[in-house]
Amino acid sequence: MLKLPSVLVTKDIPAFVKLTRSPSNNKISKRLNAFVGENTMIEVKSLTKKYGDRTAINQLTFSVARGEILGFLGQNGAGKTTTMKILTGFMPASSGSASIGGFDILENPFEVKKRIGYLPETPPIYPELLVYEYLSFVADLRGVPKSEKSKKIDKVVELCHLGDVRRRLIGNLSKGYRQRVGLAQALIHDPEVLILDEPTVGLDPKQVNEARGLIKNLRGEKTVIYSTHILSEVAATCDRIIVIDRGNIVAQEALNPMGAAGGLVKTEIIVRKVGDDLRKKITSVSGVKEVHITSNGTHRLIVESDANEEVIAEVSRVVVESRSGLIRMSPIQQALEEYYLTLITGKGGPQT
Amino acid sequence: MRGATAILKKELRSYFYSPVAYVILGVFLFIMGVIFAKFVDIYQRFNTVQRFGGAQGITLDKLATYLYQNMAFILCFVTPFLTMRLYAEEKRQHTLELLFTAPLKKFELVFGKFLAAYSLMVFMVVVSFIYVLFMIIWGNPELPIIASTYLGLLLALACYVSLGGLISAMTNSQAIAAVWTFIALLLLWLLQSLGQGISAKTGFVEWGPLLVFLSPLGHFNSFSEGLIHLKDIVYFLSFTLISLYFTYCVVESNRWR
Repeated sequence: MLKLPSVLVTKDIPAFVKLTRSPSNNKISKRLNAFVGENTMIEVKSLTKKYGDRTAINQLTFSVARGEILGFLGQNGAGKTTTMKILTGFMPASSGSASIGGFDILENPFEVKKRIGYLPETPPIYPELLVYEYLSFVADLRGVPKSEKSKKIDKVVELCHLGDVRRRLIGNLSKGYRQRVGLAQALIHDPEVLILDEPTVGLDPKQVNEARGLIKNLRGEKTVIYSTHILSEVAATCDRIIVIDRGNIVAQEALNPMGAAGGLVKTEIIVRKVGDDLRKKITSVSGVKEVHITSNGTHRLIVESDANEEVIAEVSRVVVESRSGLIRMSPIQQALEEYYLTLITGKGGPQT
Repeated sequence: MRGATAILKKELRSYFYSPVAYVILGVFLFIMGVIFAKFVDIYQRFNTVQRFGGAQGITLDKLATYLYQNMAFILCFVTPFLTMRLYAEEKRQHTLELLFTAPLKKFELVFGKFLAAYSLMVFMVVVSFIYVLFMIIWGNPELPIIASTYLGLLLALACYVSLGGLISAMTNSQAIAAVWTFIALLLLWLLQSLGQGISAKTGFVEWGPLLVFLSPLGHFNSFSEGLIHLKDIVYFLSFTLISLYFTYCVVESNRWR
């Protein structure tokens, strides 16, 4: 028997659990443990999937906190999609376990599926239906009550900017719109967890930006796993990345706001003139590791420093006060890319 | 059953949004119309001969019986066009991912899809009631026989549709599903004549009668002659349920691949 403060029991168990299960039930206690324990939404333990002899993913272990946006980074065929398909209950794992919202995906697939919105690689759309008909079908499938249905459809239509195409045939929509319909489908039942498999593939730059903005807006509200092989995307939207290569996790890092995962950032500064003591002044700022200067008409300084906003702010103050004629100062995003490449290529084995 | 109704609604939409349903309904009714007109013609000629003391035995009831036995056969050709897309199309469009990751029980999926294709077939058969109306207006057919024929048709259709669904679940190509469904249904019909010519016996099993029993033809024929046997009802229902169960297994096994 589980001992818990009564407040918790009454507040946090969803109504359907209270109605259908007695409190001594094992499944409830698991769910409650998730509530009482850390704020973990998704817990994956040594998850393995084999297709015949080929190991698609090997002993993956990670967890995602409630409200976190996790970037799932890897080359094509690294195992991103496989992991997502297992988490959503589309296919079973060969071994290992995973739980979402405290429910095990094998023991309690129904509860898990209710909590997940999933956008597969190919948006699962029916070309012969109109957009709103399709969304209404998905809402029925997801068990959205009749009374809330039209409200929820309106909400996702607005969220995914589908207002113009509501009454159009999905088959006649462009790739970008289809992708958005796919996203709308994943959001319609207001799930706690969103699993998005390469959601920005095939979108034009403006739509990519919109999609990113949309996902960013979900931060804190929903737990998101987001797979991609585009680095800048991860840098732009995610709180944390997991880099996966040939079925293994090769790195798990929190992303700081500077956009680097390695601890050091490079900043490019372009100035009109370089005084004698500028390099010395910049180097003397604590946190700055190295300064390279190349001159070619204008002067280009590459400042390597700790990934810390304070340090960058200090450097900019120094540059401005030296009256060198600051033209441009921008972070160099390369750091993440370099870091990622070393992770994947540093392992040896076949290269792309 | 919420999931099953959602699937049913969506499938019916898909049928009527594409030209498939209309074309098939039109072609089916046209063919049935031609056959009906031809039969009426034959009936009239025999009637004239009868009046002068010639051939006996062609009655309006026989006409209805022949008409419906032909209809049951023609529906074998119609079924594949309606069932081929049920699962094959979902696989091709990658929409199974949506259905499998939604809180939807697999049997609801199978049942919803079966019901959609079945109700469309039933609709076609109901429309074909106009021929009976003609017979009622200008003749005097025996209505109980027609009722039992319709019962037989409904049961036979359930077994056609469930078999078509099963075959569609086994492939990703609509064309392949259609061809195999057609071959399977044709073979089932032919089992009747095949079985009649076989007298081989292995232990207790008499192969001839067994094959005849497995064919839907004989079971349907007794309905069209106004005989409602429990064994025929059991045959059609168990055929349907077994096909649906196998469909369920095949759909479920898609997850493991």
